[in-house]
Amino acid sequence: MSESRLEVFLARIYVDQTAREKFFADPRGEATRAGLAPHEIDDVVNIDRDGLELFAHSLEHKRAHKHGHQKNRY
Amino acid sequence: MVVEDEVSADRFGLGWRPRLAAGILANLDRIDIVEVIADDYFRAPRHERRALQTLAAQTPVTLHGVSLGLASAMPVETRRLEDIARLCEEVKPEFWSEHLAFVRGGGIEIGHLAAPPRTEATIEGALVNLARAKQIVGVAPQVENVATLIDPPGSDRDEAAWLSAIIRNSESKLLLDLHNLHANATNFNFNPCEFVARIPVERISTVHLAGGKWIGGNGAQRLLDDHLHDVPDPVYELLEEVAARAPQPLTVILERDGNFPSIESLLTQLDRARQAVTRGRARTLEEAA
Repeated sequence: MSESRLEVFLARIYVDQTAREKFFADPRGEATRAGLAPHEIDDVVNIDRDGLELFAHSLEHKRAHKHGHQKNRY
Repeated sequence: MVVEDEVSADRFGLGWRPRLAAGILANLDRIDIVEVIADDYFRAPRHERRALQTLAAQTPVTLHGVSLGLASAMPVETRRLEDIARLCEEVKPEFWSEHLAFVRGGGIEIGHLAAPPRTEATIEGALVNLARAKQIVGVAPQVENVATLIDPPGSDRDEAAWLSAIIRNSESKLLLDLHNLHANATNFNFNPCEFVARIPVERISTVHLAGGKWIGGNGAQRLLDDHLHDVPDPVYELLEEVAARAPQPLTVILERDGNFPSIESLLTQLDRARQAVTRGRARTLEEAA
C-alpha cells in the first residue's frame, strides 16, 4: 500500500482554504503539479464544487465548535 | 478482548454522552445497549477508564472508533490500532466498530470522516487495514458507511458496489447508518431502498439512527448528518425496510451529539425504532405466509 496522492490532494483542498482557492483558479494545473494520474486529474477538474465548498465550510464549523465548546462527534 | 456473544433478539440503545449519562443510567430498563466513543478514552485518566469498565459491567457496551481511517489506500498506524486493542482489553465490549472513511493524508488531519474515492485501491486498502485491525485487536471491527457532502472524486463505482465489495471480502459485519444513507441518497439522488437491496443485508449487525439539517442555498442545498436533530420519518421507514429484509437480530443505536432534548424524547425515538423494526418483521412474516 503506497500513499495515495489523490487522498493527500483531497485532504489538502478540504482543509486548506488557500490550497482550495489555488485549485479553483487552476484545477488542472494544481492537480498536475500534485502528481495525480491523468484519470484522477480529469476527475478532480470536474469535482463537485458545491459539495466541496459545503464540506470545507462544515469542517471549519466543526473545528470552531471543537475548540470552543466540546469534543467533535461523528 | 471483545466478547462476541451470539445476539438472539433485536436490541435498542443510545450513544453514551456525558450529558446523557444520568438519563441513561436511570433508564437502563428501556435501554438494551450503550455505544461509547472509543477515542474519548484513549488518553483518559484512570478513573474515567475505570468508570467505563463499571458501566460495561452494568450493561452491554460497544466501542465506536472515529479516527482510524480504515478506508484508505494508506495503512492505519499501528499505534492507533494498539489504542483500540488496549481499550477493548480493559472494557471487554460486545463488539467494536469504525467508519469506512479516510481522515488524513500527507500529514493533514481532515478533522472529520471523508468518503474516499470509491476504487479498487481503496477497497484493497480497507481490506488490508481490516485484516491488520483484526490481527492487533483480536476481532475485526464492524464497519460503518459514512455520509458525504461531496461525491468523492476519482470514484469508478457507486457506494453500494464499493461497500458490498468490502463487506463480502472481509470478516467485518456491517454497521449501517441509516441517516448517512438517507443523506447520501437525498444529496446524490438515488433510491435508498434500492441501495439496501444491493448490499449484503445478511451481514448487517448494527444500525445507527440520527438526524441532520439542510445547509447551503441557491440551488446547492445538501442534507448534513449532524447528530443534532431528531430522527426524521424517512429514517424510520428505512429501518422498517432493513428489518423486513434482514432476518437476523439487529442492534439499533440512536446517536445524539448535542442540542440535547430530554431523555424521554430520546427514549420515545427509541420506541419509534422498536415499532419500525416490528413492522418490518411483520412484513417478512406476511410475505412468507
